[in-house]
Amino acid sequence: MLASVRTCALKGIDGFEVTTEVDISSGMPTLSVVGLPDAEVKESKERVIAAIRNSGFDFPLKRITVNLSPAELRKSGTQFDLPIAAGILAASGALSEEAVKKLKDLILLGELALDGTLRPCAGVLPMLIGVKNSQGTAVIAPDNFLEGQTAGLPFITPRTLRDLADWLEVKLPQESVQMAYVPPQEEEPAAVLDFSDVKGQAVAKRALEIAAAGGHNVLMIGLPGTGKSMLAKRFAGILPPLTEEESLEITKIYSVCNLLGKMKHRLHTRPFRDPHHTISEAALIGGGSNPRPGEVSLAHNGVLFLDEFAEFSRSTLEVLRQPLENGQVTISRAKETVTYPARFTLIAAMNPCPCGNLGNPHKPCTCTPMQIRRYQAKISGPLLDRIDLTVNLNPVAYGDWNKAAEGDTSAQIAARVLAARKRQQARFKGTATTANAFMTPKQIKQFCPLPAGADAILEAAMRKFGLSARSLDKVLKTARTIADLEGKDNIENAHLIEVLQYRPLDRKGVPDL
Amino acid sequence: MSVSMQERLARIRINAFLYLRADWLARLIDIFGSAEEILKQNADTLAREAQMNPSTAAHFLRDAFAINPQEELEKTEKYGGRILIPEDEEYPQSLRQIKEAPIALYVLGKLPQPNQVCIGMVGTRKITPYGRRASTTLAEGLAQAGAVIVSGLARGIDSQCHAAAVRLNKPTVAVIGTGIGRCYPPENRELARAILQHGGAIVSELPFNKPPNAFHFPRRNRIIAALSELVVVVEGEAKSGALITAKLALEMGKDVLAVPGPIDSPQSQGPNRLIADGAGVVTCVKDIIDYISNPDLFALQVPQQPAQATQEQDGLTDLQKQVMQFIASAEEASADQVVEALHLSVPQAAEVLFELEVKGLLTSQAGLYSKSKF
Repeated sequence: MLASVRTCALKGIDGFEVTTEVDISSGMPTLSVVGLPDAEVKESKERVIAAIRNSGFDFPLKRITVNLSPAELRKSGTQFDLPIAAGILAASGALSEEAVKKLKDLILLGELALDGTLRPCAGVLPMLIGVKNSQGTAVIAPDNFLEGQTAGLPFITPRTLRDLADWLEVKLPQESVQMAYVPPQEEEPAAVLDFSDVKGQAVAKRALEIAAAGGHNVLMIGLPGTGKSMLAKRFAGILPPLTEEESLEITKIYSVCNLLGKMKHRLHTRPFRDPHHTISEAALIGGGSNPRPGEVSLAHNGVLFLDEFAEFSRSTLEVLRQPLENGQVTISRAKETVTYPARFTLIAAMNPCPCGNLGNPHKPCTCTPMQIRRYQAKISGPLLDRIDLTVNLNPVAYGDWNKAAEGDTSAQIAARVLAARKRQQARFKGTATTANAFMTPKQIKQFCPLPAGADAILEAAMRKFGLSARSLDKVLKTARTIADLEGKDNIENAHLIEVLQYRPLDRKGVPDL
Repeated sequence: MSVSMQERLARIRINAFLYLRADWLARLIDIFGSAEEILKQNADTLAREAQMNPSTAAHFLRDAFAINPQEELEKTEKYGGRILIPEDEEYPQSLRQIKEAPIALYVLGKLPQPNQVCIGMVGTRKITPYGRRASTTLAEGLAQAGAVIVSGLARGIDSQCHAAAVRLNKPTVAVIGTGIGRCYPPENRELARAILQHGGAIVSELPFNKPPNAFHFPRRNRIIAALSELVVVVEGEAKSGALITAKLALEMGKDVLAVPGPIDSPQSQGPNRLIADGAGVVTCVKDIIDYISNPDLFALQVPQQPAQATQEQDGLTDLQKQVMQFIASAEEASADQVVEALHLSVPQAAEVLFELEVKGLLTSQAGLYSKSKF
C-alpha cells in the first residue's frame, strides 16, 4: 500500500517542500530510505521503528520503501522522523481512511524520541516560511511553538506520535494539540553596554560612529588594554534598530543553526559575534560536507568582531574577502552549493606589534623592525582595501583617565547614526545599495563630487602618508558618511581631512622625501 | 697607473671572497704581484705561499670563480655605475689611506669631490621622536652648510639623515650592507632612488647582487668612517653598529661627536657613554662644523641661527601654536590626547594635525605625533 506525507527540508537558509512517499509491500522485512538522505536521515529508521512500537502500534513486518522527493536534492536534518512514521502508519492501514485524508492536509516536521515524544528540530522557521504559500497545517514539536508562530501559518503541536494519531482519528479535541497564542515578547531592554562607559578614546569612538552610520569596516590598532574589545562590544548598540525584514533574516539563520532556543520568537538586537582567532575557515564562513552557516552569517546584519586580527591564519582571513565584498557567502561542495547571507560590519582589532608594546610610553617594544613589518603585513592588501577606517588606540594615563571625558551615550550616538542612515536611504532609493560603504564606482562619481581645494589635500596625503590612488574611493565613501552625519549635501574639505586621520598603516616609518 | 682589464676582472673576483679582510687580500696581491697571478695558483700553492689555511685557500678560490666579473661590470654599468679599484683616480683618497681599503668599490651616482666635506651620521634603527628631531635638524643644517652626509641607508637615524639632505636637494652618500643591485631595507628603495637623483652616491664593496647579512654591516661601517671627516652618533644602544662606526673612526684618528640624550633612554646610552669617554658634544650644527679641521678648504656656510628654529612657526594660527606647544611638552601625543587637552572635537583636531603634518612640523608614527624638528 502507498501513502504520501508532506514535509520540508532546507537548502541554505530557505525551506522547500518535500514529499515523503511510503510504500509497503510483501517481502523480506526491511526499511529503506531513498532520495539523497544524509546520515541523520538514515538513522531516523531506528527511531521511527521504536517510536511506532512504543506508541502502541504494530510495526509492519514487511518490505517498506521510503522515498523523499524531489529525489535530486540532498535532505538533511532530523525533521523526517515524524513524516516517515506517519507515512508508515498510513500505508500499513493503522490509520482510518478519514485520518489518512486528514493527514494529506498536514505538513509534518519533527524528530521522534524512542517513546514517540515529538522533539524540536533545527531550522523550523525557515522551513515553514518556505512552505507558507502551499495550503496546509503544519505539525511541529511543542518546543518549536514560537518559531511556528513567527512563521505565521496554521499549525498544531501534538506532544507525541500517539497524540497526533488520536487527533487524526478525532479521539482528541483540537485544544489538546494546539497551544495558546503567546504574545511576542517585549523588545529587549536597550543594551546595558554604553559608549559612555569607555573613557577617552574620542578618536576611536568617532571612527565607530562613522562606521555605524555608513556601514564601514574598522580596524583598531592598539596596545592591550586600551579598550578595543570594550568599544567593539558597544558598537552593535549604536547601529540603527533592526527592520522587520532584517530581524526575520537573522532569526532564520539562527533557527537553521539551532541557536534560537525555545524562548525566542525572533531576534531583536543585532548580533555580535566574536570568534576566537583559532577558528577554522569552515567555521568562519560556513561549510562542512553538509554546509552550515558560519560566523559571518551568524553576524549577518550585525557585527563580526575579530580580536587579535593578525593572529588569525592568513587563509582564514582571506576567505573573508567574498562576504565583505558581496554580503553573502557561497559554499560549494561536491554534492551541493549553498549561499548564506553575510552582510556584517567587520570590527577588527590587533596589537601594533607581536610583543604588543610598540608605542607604549611605559614599556619598551622588544620586536625587531622585521618582526613588526611581518606582523603588520599579515593583513593582506586586498583585505585592507575593504577596511575603510583604521584607528590607533593609545593608552590613557591614569591622570588623564580620571579626567577623561565620557563622551556621548550610545543613545545620543545612535540618534545621529539613524539620521545619517535616513539620508543615505533617501539617496539610494531604488538601488541595491544600502549604505555609503557599498556604493558602486558609478555612485561614487555621482554622489561624491570633490570640493574646490580637495586636490591639494589629496596630493599632500599621497605625498606625506603614502595614500594610494586605489584607496581614494575608500576616502570618498567615508567622507560621504561624515558629510551625512553632519547633514551636509556635499563633501567638504574638512570631511576629507578627517578621513585621512583614519588612514591605514601604509607608511612603514619611511621619512618624507 | 693604469690597470689592465684582465687584472680589473681578477680584482672583482677576489673581492667576492668575504671571509678575508681587505688588507689580507691586498697582502695576497703583494705576494703574487697581481690578482691575475693569484687566480692562476692552485689551493695548495696559495696556502703555502701566503701561509693560509688550506681549506680557506680552497674556499677563496671557489668563491672567486663562482662569480662572473664580466657580468658584474655589465650589471653595474647598466645601473649607471662603475666598479672602482684603488688605482683608479676616482677611488676616494680617504678610503685609499685606510688599512682595510676595499679591493673593489661598486659606486652608483656621484662621489663627493675633494672640496666637499663629508660628515658621517650614524645611529639606531629604533629611532625615538627625539632622535628623529635631532637627526633631521642636524642633517638639514649640515646639508645646508654644504657638507655631504655619509650614512648607511639603514632604518631609523640613517634614513632620516639621508632624507633630510635629499629634501634640500643636497648630495648624500649611502654606504650599504648589500650589493648595489639590492635595497635593504626594502622600504628605502624610494629613498635610494632619490639619493641618486639629487647628486648623491650609493656605495658598496659587496658583489652586485649580495643579499643582506648580519656580518656585512660592521664591515661597511669602516667605509662610512673612512669616507667621513668626522662621525656624529645621534642615538644608539649600548651595543650597536653606531658605536662600532665610532670606534673605527677613532682608530682611524678621526673625531667622534655624540648627541647627548636622556639618561633613561636606551637609545641614548651609546652617545652618552661616548661623551663620558671624551667624545665631542653636539648641541647644534655649529658644534659639528667647529670640529672640522680645515673649514676654510670647504667654503662652508656656517648657520648663524640657534638650534631653535622659531621662524617656521610664525605663520601658524593660535590653535596650531597651542597644539604644537602641547605636543612639544608631551614629547609624543596621540590625537586623543590633543582632543582631551585642548577641548577640541575630533574633526577639529584632525584638521589641525593634518595641516601641521603637511607643513612638516609634525611627524606621526603608530598614531603618535611628535615634533619633527627642534
